Amino acid sequence: MRYVLRCVLVAALLICGTAYAQTEDMVEDTVMTAMAPAPATNVNAFDTDNDHGHSVTVTWDLSVDDGGGTGAVTGYEIHRWSPAEMVTLDSLRGLLSAVEAELPNVADSSAEANLRRDSLRLRYAALIATSVAVGDDLDTEMKARRAAVKEAFLAALDGLPAAHARYPENGNWQLLGKVAAGVSTYSDAGGKEPTASSFIPDYCGFHYKVHALTADETVYGETAPFGPVECYGQWFNTGRVPVLLAVLIFGALTIIFVSIARRGADLYVRPLAGIEAVDDAIGRATEMGRPILYVLGLGTAADVATIASFTILGRVAKRVAEYQTALIVPTYEPIVMTVAQEVVKSSYLDAGRPDDYKDDTVFFVTQSQFAYVAAVNGIMLRELPATCVYMGKFFAESLLLAETGALAGSIQIAGTDEIAQIPFFIVACDYTLIGEELYAASAYLGREPILLGSLKAQDYAKAAVVVFALAGLLASYASWGHVFTDLFKVTN
Amino acid sequence: MVHNNVGVIITLLVIAGGLVWLLVRSFRGKEIDRRVIFLFIMVSVAAPLLATITFKFTATPIVEALYDKIEALPEGSTVLLSFDFDPAMAPEVQPMANVVTRHCLEKNIKIVFMCLWATGQGQLEITLDQVLRRDFAHKIDGVDYVNMGYKAGNEGVLNVIVTDFEKMFPTDVNTTPYGDIEILQGVNSCKDMDLIVSFGGGRPGIKEWILFVGDPTGVPSAGGVAAVVAPQLYPYYPRQLMGLLGGIKGAAEYESHFRERHPNHADMDTPAIIMMGPQTIAHIVIIAFIIIGNVLFFMNRRRGARS
Amino acid sequence: MKNLKWFVLAAVCILFAVSWFAKASGGDGVDNSVLDAFLVTLAAFLTLAIMSFLYQDNPYYKFAEHLFVGVSAAYWMCLGFWSTVVGNLFPRISEGLSNFFLVPYQPGPLNFFFAIPIILGILLLMRLSPKGGWLSRWPLAFIVGTTAGLNFVRYLRSDFVKQISSTFVPLVVDWQGFGHFFSNISLTAGGPLVMMLTNLVIFIGVFCGIVYFFFSKEHTGVFGKASRVGIWILMITFGASFGYTVMGRISLLVGRLTFLFTDWLGIIG
Repeated sequence: MRYVLRCVLVAALLICGTAYAQTEDMVEDTVMTAMAPAPATNVNAFDTDNDHGHSVTVTWDLSVDDGGGTGAVTGYEIHRWSPAEMVTLDSLRGLLSAVEAELPNVADSSAEANLRRDSLRLRYAALIATSVAVGDDLDTEMKARRAAVKEAFLAALDGLPAAHARYPENGNWQLLGKVAAGVSTYSDAGGKEPTASSFIPDYCGFHYKVHALTADETVYGETAPFGPVECYGQWFNTGRVPVLLAVLIFGALTIIFVSIARRGADLYVRPLAGIEAVDDAIGRATEMGRPILYVLGLGTAADVATIASFTILGRVAKRVAEYQTALIVPTYEPIVMTVAQEVVKSSYLDAGRPDDYKDDTVFFVTQSQFAYVAAVNGIMLRELPATCVYMGKFFAESLLLAETGALAGSIQIAGTDEIAQIPFFIVACDYTLIGEELYAASAYLGREPILLGSLKAQDYAKAAVVVFALAGLLASYASWGHVFTDLFKVTN
Repeated sequence: MVHNNVGVIITLLVIAGGLVWLLVRSFRGKEIDRRVIFLFIMVSVAAPLLATITFKFTATPIVEALYDKIEALPEGSTVLLSFDFDPAMAPEVQPMANVVTRHCLEKNIKIVFMCLWATGQGQLEITLDQVLRRDFAHKIDGVDYVNMGYKAGNEGVLNVIVTDFEKMFPTDVNTTPYGDIEILQGVNSCKDMDLIVSFGGGRPGIKEWILFVGDPTGVPSAGGVAAVVAPQLYPYYPRQLMGLLGGIKGAAEYESHFRERHPNHADMDTPAIIMMGPQTIAHIVIIAFIIIGNVLFFMNRRRGARS
Repeated sequence: MKNLKWFVLAAVCILFAVSWFAKASGGDGVDNSVLDAFLVTLAAFLTLAIMSFLYQDNPYYKFAEHLFVGVSAAYWMCLGFWSTVVGNLFPRISEGLSNFFLVPYQPGPLNFFFAIPIILGILLLMRLSPKGGWLSRWPLAFIVGTTAGLNFVRYLRSDFVKQISSTFVPLVVDWQGFGHFFSNISLTAGGPLVMMLTNLVIFIGVFCGIVYFFFSKEHTGVFGKASRVGIWILMITFGASFGYTVMGRISLLVGRLTFLFTDWLGIIG
């Protein structure tokens, strides 16, 4: 029995001893956790480049305990030193907005409104030295208060650079934000309007520090403050240099080719199947004794596609006048109708048949999309035109028109720069000018120096794209490839 | 994989019988009235809808990219969801907006809602009703999400909010001043967003978001768009557009992917998956028409050549 | 024939009334207010009226179309006033007007820049005047000029410079010799084979597409062959676009049928 008791006693002692040892380990562990992690190093702050100011970028090297070491770092806190004047500025901003909000309510004499005004007067007295008489005329009083608060607010704004220069006197550190472990940069960006709550002033010497955080909020590693650093706006955004170069090169090419075309040089534009087909289609209409329907689309006279369409209409009208075939041009827009009438009239004149021109060749239908389609479809089914030409801007009506034209047995030639509508024209028409081909057709037929010059400039720009794509392909294999690809990087 | 096998068998039998009848008529050289084709499409859409035929979808990389991006965003990130569509696009785009909103809320991501289309406001309210107020009633306005409403100006709005959000949206839809909205503390412009998703299909839409916000700021941009414009956006993927839900199929893929990975949402509404049933059957019918049409075209040509 | 028209009209009116009554009395198991029942019935009948065009043009279709055109024109006009003039302008220029239209006033110093859009807006309205119509050209010129300027830089950056850099893709991806390539061949989207094919299609597509749109040289010889490939690629793209459009249109039909079956007839849940 005594032996058993002795064994129990020994066991109990052993358990207690082990438990104590474990407690000691736990205490040691707690001490280990409570130890501050290594702070971030090389804190740097600089004005964010290529912006309108009001932003500072803070960078640092990760703490050795972030991922490595004890691995205890869970994130980073970024702090900025803020003088007491910033708090005053915030209070003045709030007061100014409160006074302005009160101004429309001066007629309100409820107890709640009076209470609100009293609170406002107290806030005013605490912040502004200039006194304002409290009288029956609330409007005058509130306007006087607004003027005084505004003055004080502007004065406080002016005093911010001096207040920041006083670092570290009369101010305290303000938490800006947190970032996750592994992140080593923070953008302290604010609004540019002084009245915005997020306002960050330019040309003030800011100081920053970074805390490496642990799971325990009270335990962190702190860097030495870095500063002063000022933020300010840049006149020129260097990140957009590639765009500037592209604008300059493309602009120069356009000017060069337009001037060459103006001097009368014969700039080659390849023939387009759709345009070649127009002449054949007009011949067919003449043989069949049926009219030609020309639709300018739903665009306005300012749309490039409609402008290109006018040139093609001019050519069609001239041939029609020569062959003495009938032409029908229903329009959707009054201004487009006026221009189209002029174009057709001058084409008849050019063809030497001004007397054949009739005013009702070009007529206005309606400006309601589907009503216009219904009218044009009606014309197609009644007149059975030998040829339908659709050139310009088209939307949901493209397939409705082309399908009806096909039912009427017409030869159909279409052209539009509306990418979504091109597939419909391709399936329902005999010839389709795809996107830019419409402009090219216009330049080809019209021989206008501006159109020809622009088309040539675009061709050279396309050649440049091919060259760049090839060079980029080769560069993607070379070790220096990034130097080339970086040339096309537009940062913001 | 097809669910509701009886429904699909009946539907396919009806449609196949009709197609055989059409084929026989065509071989006999009889004209087929276009209204018959319309009727076929109507039946092929209505029958699967009534029989609730659904299919299983696997997310394509372009859809998965957006899912993975939202999945990887840490809690408390801020996402901007722009509702840039109208009731005409709603059958396609609303399911995308609903499922992406659901995903963000599930991940405890803060959402800033806005609209570049006036009609987007009504569509946004539908999403708030069908997702947020129904399944996430505990989320607090101004803390977990904020509705900034609609602002007129199209690209002009984007041009301003890319540098100053408050200037365009001084208050939310409830006229709470910008400075008093907790979720917007620290958000000065679109640069402070972790992700931008635009739901639309017209102009302004995701293309304008890329041009005016995504490219200048480098903020990841994604979109959910009506099928008509989806092909025009592929050139921007993946460098300028990190993910895209194109048409109802994109929405169905996202719904399927989300539901598989979040079993707690197994009984959520899946309008896109339901719509893909009729869609698939209608596509089969259209393909059959194309094949029949081409066979007859070549046969007639051969007959013409012989004669 | 004339009697048939009246008969159809009477039938439509009776059906409308029956539907309205059934919806309002909770005939479909859902309690609706009289107004809700009217709106759902009206929406259903307007949907059917538009769809009736597929059979042939008829007065019901025309009625629905004109109603839609008229309502949308009025809606956009009101919206333009409330969102642009009341929503954007008044809060920035006048406290009184803001209070009158119940929109929050945005206090700030009086900014004369806001006078410019007012003046341009009035000039734009001069289009309605027969004599002062020419004045509307000034704001139009302003709109065209600023939009072109604003878009030019954005498009050049996003659609030109950035798109060029997007074509800088290696045609051979993750190459570790033929043995490794063939032993690890896979058709997964991220695998080297698919990546190589994707990059090849991008490069050839861009190259040949541009060649097709090159107008300064005749499309003969090698140039002509590249242009031919270009037009094939364009056609495939248009085919894909067409397919997507079909999908979009079918989705709209599904949407409308879902509305008819769910909200109106209540035959699916």
